[in-house]
Amino acid sequence: MLRLVSTASRPASSGRLSRVVCSNCVSTGRRTFASSSALRADITLTVDGKEVTVPQGSALIQACEAAGSPVPRFCYHDRLAIAGNCRMCLVEVERSPKPVASCAMPAMPGAKVFTNTPLVHEAREGVMEFLLANHPLDCPICDQGGECDLQDQSMRYGSDRSRFHEITGKRAVEDKDLGPLVKTSMNRCIQCTRCVRFANEVAGVEELGTTGRGNDLQIGMYVEKTMDSELSGNIVDLCPVGALTSKPYAFHARPWELKNTESIDVLDAVGSNIRVDSRGVQVMRIQPRTNDDVNEEWISDKTRYAYDGLKFQRLTTPLVKQGDRFVSASWHDAFTAIVSGLASSGAKGDEIQAIAGHLADTESLVALKDFTNRLGSDNTALDQAGGYAPPVAGVDVRSNYLFNSTIPGVEQADVILLVGTNPRHEAAVLNSRIRKSWLHTGLEVGLIGERADTTYGYDYLGQDAKALADFVAGKGEFAKKFQAAKKPLIIVGSAISEHADGPAVYNALAKFVEKNKSRLVTPEWNGFSVLQRVASRAAAYEIGFVPTKKAAAVKPKFIYLLNADEVDPKSIPKDAFVVYQGHHGDLGASLADVCLPAAAYTEKSTTWVNTEGRTQLGRAAVPPPGASREDWKIVRALSEVVGSPLPYDDVVTLRDRMWEISPTLVRYDTTEPTSVDVALTGLKTLAAHTAGAKVTGVPFKKPVANFYQTDPISRASVTMAQTTRAFVNGERYGFSESEKSSQAAFA
Amino acid sequence: MSLIRASTQAFRQTIDLRTAVRALSSEVKAPVESRTETAEVAIPTKDVLTAEVLSGAPTELRHRPVRIYQPARNTMQSGGAKMERWRIDFDILQGGGRWENPLMGWASSADYMQGTRVSFKSKEDAIHFAEKQGWDYYVQPPPTKKIPPKNYAENYVYKPNKLRIARTK
Repeated sequence: MLRLVSTASRPASSGRLSRVVCSNCVSTGRRTFASSSALRADITLTVDGKEVTVPQGSALIQACEAAGSPVPRFCYHDRLAIAGNCRMCLVEVERSPKPVASCAMPAMPGAKVFTNTPLVHEAREGVMEFLLANHPLDCPICDQGGECDLQDQSMRYGSDRSRFHEITGKRAVEDKDLGPLVKTSMNRCIQCTRCVRFANEVAGVEELGTTGRGNDLQIGMYVEKTMDSELSGNIVDLCPVGALTSKPYAFHARPWELKNTESIDVLDAVGSNIRVDSRGVQVMRIQPRTNDDVNEEWISDKTRYAYDGLKFQRLTTPLVKQGDRFVSASWHDAFTAIVSGLASSGAKGDEIQAIAGHLADTESLVALKDFTNRLGSDNTALDQAGGYAPPVAGVDVRSNYLFNSTIPGVEQADVILLVGTNPRHEAAVLNSRIRKSWLHTGLEVGLIGERADTTYGYDYLGQDAKALADFVAGKGEFAKKFQAAKKPLIIVGSAISEHADGPAVYNALAKFVEKNKSRLVTPEWNGFSVLQRVASRAAAYEIGFVPTKKAAAVKPKFIYLLNADEVDPKSIPKDAFVVYQGHHGDLGASLADVCLPAAAYTEKSTTWVNTEGRTQLGRAAVPPPGASREDWKIVRALSEVVGSPLPYDDVVTLRDRMWEISPTLVRYDTTEPTSVDVALTGLKTLAAHTAGAKVTGVPFKKPVANFYQTDPISRASVTMAQTTRAFVNGERYGFSESEKSSQAAFA
Repeated sequence: MSLIRASTQAFRQTIDLRTAVRALSSEVKAPVESRTETAEVAIPTKDVLTAEVLSGAPTELRHRPVRIYQPARNTMQSGGAKMERWRIDFDILQGGGRWENPLMGWASSADYMQGTRVSFKSKEDAIHFAEKQGWDYYVQPPPTKKIPPKNYAENYVYKPNKLRIARTK
């Protein structure tokens, strides 16, 4: 029903589809001169009799991987620094007296490596025997069972009996309390230190570390402390054994019972690639999916653990308000109620308002905009502060509202200025990239806005538009650094466009970027990036789901809330007829006269556009509960009842319509850069549009106060509520308090 | 007219052709699926005779969208076995996919393809098979992997400025 559309412009209609599909399956992404990898000498070596060429400076284990000889490992991980302490990756190198640890050994030209000789086997068996000597035999009750590296590798290198008969038994280690997300069972730890390296390098939690040496080595937070990081769930994935497991998922399912569905996350605007694991009609857990262009291998804790919100507070049947109560109704009755409400409200033209919320998918946005326009209204508003007026940055030029540098491009920047944003909470995975770059290159970061605990150091320039004016004028140390940078990057938070000083800030930045276009806007680099924080926003801008100035001035009489749960109840006129379409009974539903139950993101195969403008296709994992339906189908059905049916009956024709609006909406998994001329034109119109804007000097505020609860799904989630108590409110919640219990806490 | 539209029309044409074939003769041979080890498996250049002409598979099956993709590695495990394979599986049926059976609380389904997934050695094989079955398919391109060369010595590289990380390993 859906196919990859060629990245070339309009293809010949006679061309066979299969050819188009095949010739364009390689995701090209953005590739410029500057983003091509640095020229490195390649070296050639022989692995298991097979010649392989790898870049100089690679580890031997990478060369073995490249040659197709898998090497068992516990401590080595592609995205972490090399530790070399598990010794499982021993290989034999010719003319080397001993087996060598292939992760800590650089690949040498001309080396002859053997990964599958009796010597190697014996060495690995020895390592495995020592690891298992202290590893408890609790696989049947261990949550890692079935996806455990130690289990997998012991199938090949493990012995079937033990030679160690210690009188004292196996090593016993006290369990640590890392908070409501990560469960520990430290007896199982094999001290690979992946979690420590992840916390150090990626998450920026420098308290997680090791104490003691040898047999007494322990992983922990040194003092009794939880691991307060928005990326902490990733250490569960990294742990090769069952020492760190997921607390909400504990004892709920086994991996072989789960159906995996590869999909897209919508709880922030990064569009992290996820894998939804479901059993029956329930989502059991959410795992990251590796995509180096978006989320590498990490996802935030909200993405990972908010899934239990999908079970609670769901709208399962259409509801019609009678008096002050909601009464469940059939779809037919609900639509009839809407039609009569539309008639009795007397709404005409722009008095019919549609408001798109945070979790609205692109298909339903397109359908709703077409529907509203057919009713003669241009009043398509967005669910944000100031969303009822046309947006400051405009929607005519893509580069004015997208993250133009792209997410992997952040790593190329040498100076970053953050304006009114805290990426740690608005795009947690992107923040880890900034930290990575800050650690490994000489990246300098500046921040204008409310002070925040980012995971990297920054120069604080001020909290309001005046600080930005100073920066633009070139005052201060950081402005000089910025002027000297080769690839400077300005990240403008989405909260700026909602702020009173938004126009002034955009005006100053547009002029500044235009003035410095030789470094900020070049064919290889666009250093003006807007960081959106909600999943639907980029798509809404892309299809022009914004009101006209004339429409914005009209007082609405009929309001259609599409997943809009952040609306200010005071902004809705008392006499207006309100329809809410969405999946959770949250704020929007409480304001409505008619509620239409829709599908959540795990229940529909829809298109999502992330903050870079990368279009990605999600996939339904479980059916929507009760009578709820896919969003665009509801709008389509309603349009028919109202009497102006939309011209698409299936998702293929709807995506056709999306192609008409913007071809990027059906070109999946790629970002399309805006050309320099167009980007500069966009900035010029932006500067002209906002000319003469007054500066009020109100400080910028962080838009996300509580990272863990930002949308109806995470607000309905018990896990996220616990996390909020533990990390945001700082209560000692979720601690086992074992010192108070009468018995020792086992397992 | 976009490509998607073009493709649906192309499909309609093949359906017409198929009915014609069914009416006329049985001499048209279905192309034999070549299962060579190399990646260059021939993409069918002519219209394929879809399977349900002969197999008697229900016509509803023809309208089921399938996805062709390379399953991502489980991030919980480091092994890379079966990662080279391409998989076909079915989008769930809206409404009839699965529901909780009130008798035992297990999941029931009206969708006989919900548990089916087929693995192929190459993408071309999978596409060929989907075309032969007359399924609507979407090919999800695998993400490109970008792992930089890694080096143990990087742990000990001298950094000239203020130290930015305190390693606790």
